[in-house]
Amino acid sequence: MTTYTLPKDKLPEFLSALSDYEIWAPVKKGPATLFDRLDDLKDVDLDLENQPVISKKAIFPQNEPLFSYDRKGTVTETDLNAVKNTIVFGIRPCDARSFTLLDPVFEGDVPDPYYRARRSKTALLGIACNDPFVNCFCTSIGGSPFGREGLDLLFIDCGDLFTLEVITETGKEITGKASSLLSPATAESSEQIAQAATDKIKRHIDLTGLPEKLASLFEHPVWKEFASKCIGCGICTYSCPTCYCFDMQDETTLKQGRRVRIWDSCMFPEYTLHASGHNPRATRTERFRNRIYHKFKFNMDNFHSYSCVGCGRCISLCPVNIDLIDYLSRVKETE
Amino acid sequence: MDIQKLRDEAKRALGRKEIEYLIGYKKGSYGFRISPCFIETKEEVDQLTFSPLCSLSLVNYLTIEGKPLLPADEKKSKAKKVALLVRGCDSRALNQIIAEGGISPDQLYVIGIPCSGVIDLKKIEARFPHTPDPVDVVEENGNYIITINDQSHTVPVDELKAETCKTCQYPTPLTCKKLIGDKRAGNPPQYEDIQILEAQPPEEKWQFWQNQFSRCIRCYACRNSCPLCYCDGCILEKLKPQWVKRSVDTNENFMFHITRAFHLAGRCISCGECERVCPVDIPLMKLNRKMEKDVKELFDFEAGLDPEVKPLLNTFAIEDPEDFIL
Repeated sequence: MTTYTLPKDKLPEFLSALSDYEIWAPVKKGPATLFDRLDDLKDVDLDLENQPVISKKAIFPQNEPLFSYDRKGTVTETDLNAVKNTIVFGIRPCDARSFTLLDPVFEGDVPDPYYRARRSKTALLGIACNDPFVNCFCTSIGGSPFGREGLDLLFIDCGDLFTLEVITETGKEITGKASSLLSPATAESSEQIAQAATDKIKRHIDLTGLPEKLASLFEHPVWKEFASKCIGCGICTYSCPTCYCFDMQDETTLKQGRRVRIWDSCMFPEYTLHASGHNPRATRTERFRNRIYHKFKFNMDNFHSYSCVGCGRCISLCPVNIDLIDYLSRVKETE
Repeated sequence: MDIQKLRDEAKRALGRKEIEYLIGYKKGSYGFRISPCFIETKEEVDQLTFSPLCSLSLVNYLTIEGKPLLPADEKKSKAKKVALLVRGCDSRALNQIIAEGGISPDQLYVIGIPCSGVIDLKKIEARFPHTPDPVDVVEENGNYIITINDQSHTVPVDELKAETCKTCQYPTPLTCKKLIGDKRAGNPPQYEDIQILEAQPPEEKWQFWQNQFSRCIRCYACRNSCPLCYCDGCILEKLKPQWVKRSVDTNENFMFHITRAFHLAGRCISCGECERVCPVDIPLMKLNRKMEKDVKELFDFEAGLDPEVKPLLNTFAIEDPEDFIL
């Protein structure tokens, strides 16, 4: 593997050397740091907690117009050729891995052209987690704070400089554009820092046998108990890097309209509301159960992986302390 | 506050045959988190807790869809009561909802706790990151004494207290069956931050709120954690017509937040929970407090002080000011 070093103060220069690309990064926006298009290099904020607004929106935007139309009958499809080569910079290994879990969903039997257009033109540049957050549990679910899965280039924070590990051909191409700023790294291994970071992860869960367990608990009263304190907001699903449910909406004015694909949340009553007025998931219990089943059973049945990377955002952001790790442990103990 | 007194009172309440369950707080699953809990038997009472970390309003659980644990049999549940812990702001929320006819007071057994203000979780978690083990916090002489893994830290109250609580006028529950602990005096009303905003020219205000609302991801945590947002069939979920588009952009976000602020005019009781749960730090209390200030100045009205007083916007008086109507 090729490895380089980049002095930290050269990061803005490194990013400006990549001006051919549209760059997305953690950006300071008022009091919050959010993942967004980077318009001004000085706004990059790497001193980040896991941002609530996450990198998936660079490839799977919260609103995606599919086509527009007007009264004359003109239909204009969204021009996917206009999608630019993009760099998603500063994401965590868990977030990079989340794209590899979204791929089989959007690129399976019926490939989704919108996802494909962005995904195929996007390079993922991640930063290893030297200091995992309080609710990180990536190591329990197949990830690691120094995971390379999904990444093209991994930045490792080594004090005054970053070590850059080139993981893919795309990563090589990108380092080629900024080669004057990079020096070849000595053969020093990052394994020690990686191990130290892994040891800092305090929360763990053994998920062995969980999908089978869930198969036997669908009608169990435990779901009503679990859901009883849920207030039904969508903070867990909107902050989740692997949640991908969407709704289609026709948004019209008098003269024109557009069809838009918009993130949806299984925690909202409208999510499964039928035109007839019937709602097959009429209560919080059913909606809450669906979130757990989708992530830890249905996704396993359909795509052979959990739909979770252990980033811990849903736990940290929940206003009423619905703690996924805690709940999954209790599911395992439920008879 | 003496936790034992709270648990004793909870035991007494649960001993009454008409009480179905009690809604209180217990320690959360990690760090500084507190969890709402529903207690049905006296044996479970020892898990009850109360500390400056208890920030969520439990009043939400009285109006939430499919109320927790209540038997599906409506007739049976009507004869039963729910016991509930309230702080000053919660008590105002209850009064307001009762005045609006949203809850019948006959269904409630209210235990009040004078509150010294809650800790802003964002502040304390930034101060002590990486704290997975449960933490104890007590307030003593203007400081929070925070015990993490047997090590205690002293932090001045002002540094961690939620901003809304710093200007709380009604820390002591106004209407309750039992009050646990001594009454606390409120602070005088304070609207300096709102006056600064009011003095700005319209373009600056517009820009300020554009910047704020552009961040909104419409997770509706603000709405769902609000004790006064209890409409059955919120306007945001209406399909015919669809008042607010599902697209998440600054315009639609404006529509959402302004609509919510209007719907809370004369109703918001300034608990500040909406602002605290916002994942993108939108200063929602600036909107709510502006409405509160206007309502106070124009109509000499404060929400939730008395369950017998009709809600402001449901009444009309010939002397009501109207010079603000265009």
